[in-house]
Amino acid sequence: MSYAYLFKYIIIGDTGVGKSCLLLQFTDKRFQPVHDLTIGVEFGARMITIDSKPIKLQIWDTAGQESFRSITRSYYRGAAGALLVYDITRRETFNHLASWLEDARQHANSNMTIMLIGNKCDLAHRRAVSTEEGEQFAKENGLVFMETSAKTAFNVEEAFINTAAKIYQKIEEGIFDVSNESYGIKVGYGGGAGTAGAGRGDASLAPKGGCCG
Amino acid sequence: MKSGNDDPRKSDGSLNNLDRRLNQTLKSVQGLLKVPGKILLSRKGAEPAAPSVSSPAVSPYRKDVDEEAGISPNVSGAASASTIKADASRSNGSDTSEGVAENERPSSSPFGHSSSSKGSSTDTSRPSTGGRATDSARVARFKKELASPAVNLDALRELAWSGVPPDMRPIVWRLLVGYAPPNADRREVVLERKRQEYIDCIPQYYDISDADRTEDERTMLRQISVDAPRTVPDVTFFQHPEMQTSLIRVLYIWAIRHPASGYVQGINDLATPFIVVFLSEYLEGDMENWDITKLTPEIVNNYEADCYWCLSKLLDGVQDHYTFAQPGIQRLVFKLKELVRRIDEPVSTHIEEQGLEFLQFAFRWFNCLLIREIPFPLVGRLWDTYLSEGDAFPEYLVYVCASFLLTWSDQLQQLDFQEMVLFIQHLPTKNWTHQELEMVLSRAFMWRVMFQQAPSHLSSG
Repeated sequence: MSYAYLFKYIIIGDTGVGKSCLLLQFTDKRFQPVHDLTIGVEFGARMITIDSKPIKLQIWDTAGQESFRSITRSYYRGAAGALLVYDITRRETFNHLASWLEDARQHANSNMTIMLIGNKCDLAHRRAVSTEEGEQFAKENGLVFMETSAKTAFNVEEAFINTAAKIYQKIEEGIFDVSNESYGIKVGYGGGAGTAGAGRGDASLAPKGGCCG
Repeated sequence: MKSGNDDPRKSDGSLNNLDRRLNQTLKSVQGLLKVPGKILLSRKGAEPAAPSVSSPAVSPYRKDVDEEAGISPNVSGAASASTIKADASRSNGSDTSEGVAENERPSSSPFGHSSSSKGSSTDTSRPSTGGRATDSARVARFKKELASPAVNLDALRELAWSGVPPDMRPIVWRLLVGYAPPNADRREVVLERKRQEYIDCIPQYYDISDADRTEDERTMLRQISVDAPRTVPDVTFFQHPEMQTSLIRVLYIWAIRHPASGYVQGINDLATPFIVVFLSEYLEGDMENWDITKLTPEIVNNYEADCYWCLSKLLDGVQDHYTFAQPGIQRLVFKLKELVRRIDEPVSTHIEEQGLEFLQFAFRWFNCLLIREIPFPLVGRLWDTYLSEGDAFPEYLVYVCASFLLTWSDQLQQLDFQEMVLFIQHLPTKNWTHQELEMVLSRAFMWRVMFQQAPSHLSSG
């Protein structure tokens, strides 16, 4: 598939908050109640459309355990967007947000768009963090905020797509030098919708064509 | 795949001088080479290397056998079983059909254990499992070795490397990891003492209130409790509440007593082969139907203790894989990348050009010792070889991972970055049998011998 832009994402947050399930729901539209725990990183990809332009999302889903931080940190650098996830039923996952944010600010490029996600909102009866608290934290730290459910798919599309819309907006505003791949953005062929798909190989060819800065 | 794997073999002209184990391996591989569509090694290397193999022994490929097995040509087990038998007895008249009947798909039994109860159409005198492991001559050699007043560990390693009969795995694994002493007189006493040591840890570390734990310990216990239900989630037996508690206890006590690393995700996976093998001493039938509540508390304690000690012994050998920043794993990933470059330049170049980092896929391989990458019932067979390697295991693991990856050398070269990551993340091993796994192990073994004999290959050019 040809695309106008390729955005790279990273999903971060404590272990067990549902990062892999969010990714699976977004890429495969399914929910796996008991997901293998992620070791190191896993990868997913999907095409979306923003402003009638095809955008390819490549997403690195990271392991949440502290011991893997040294491995997962290297994925911040090339990311245009980050989904910072906590579990609304486990207070400690919310309490750790500041340290995640610090990690992100330290290792990512300063223009990375960060979406704060309170996941598992289908488990309202076990809620331990209020929506207001999530909103408040996001506001204080300049993040976009959403509550999601990887189980019911509630807001999952929106979380990924709104992040892309933000990045797209920043491109339009000229905030990024899109020829610099370190921002996690690549310019592709076939910027307009309806361009004949180049099929396999396009993903690798496109960036070379678009990013020889 | 053909072209890529040719190179290292061509350069090696001295295969005739390799030790007996390599010869065995080569013979088995030659057997595999006869299987259509499974040509993973060049004939050029295999032929001169196994001059003593007579053709009747390596050509047990018969139509009726194929049909009997009911799956893809299942001839490797027969080939290897018969060649080894021929090797052992210096006779070419071995009954090759035995091995074929045995080399069934692992099915749902734990590591091939106890599926004999179902196998009525085949010879019911043996449990049906991976080819070589249950060859009667080999079983006899295992029995002989294990009955010895002092088990010769080198001999046991050599035997076990090619697969351990499932019903002997508990005792063999305990010996291989150095938990049970080779000396038969001392064995029970030592095991009893060690088991008691573990059992004493339960009230000391586990059965205490949260208030008596440090903050770090509470975090660790919470983490292990979150991970237990996510451990081999596709095997329902592991989901039973009592089984979960048992797993948590072993992992937590291990972590408390190994503060240098503490609990790192993936160690939970590493406990599972031990759990299955040591429970198989007490529970029969299909693992999916196992019920740990049927066991007495004493038995649960003993099996847990065995798991604890064997896990400890295994991890002692790879200590820096799980310490801060996991330097051991980073080192192995680096070695893997170098090794792949030397074995298969085209695929190595392709991976690099596409921007795929070895760390992006091989980290999990090393962290979980490939458990995640193959069907769970095959893991026991994989670990027979791992545990037989002893101190050489981490180094051998690099060769195994290279062999594993290059199983798909041809396919990989057709894929771009994204396709490649997705492909490697879920490699098509779902229908693997012992045959494919043993191919990976044998090839890894041969590559290691070759590279060790040609050290210039290892120094950077």
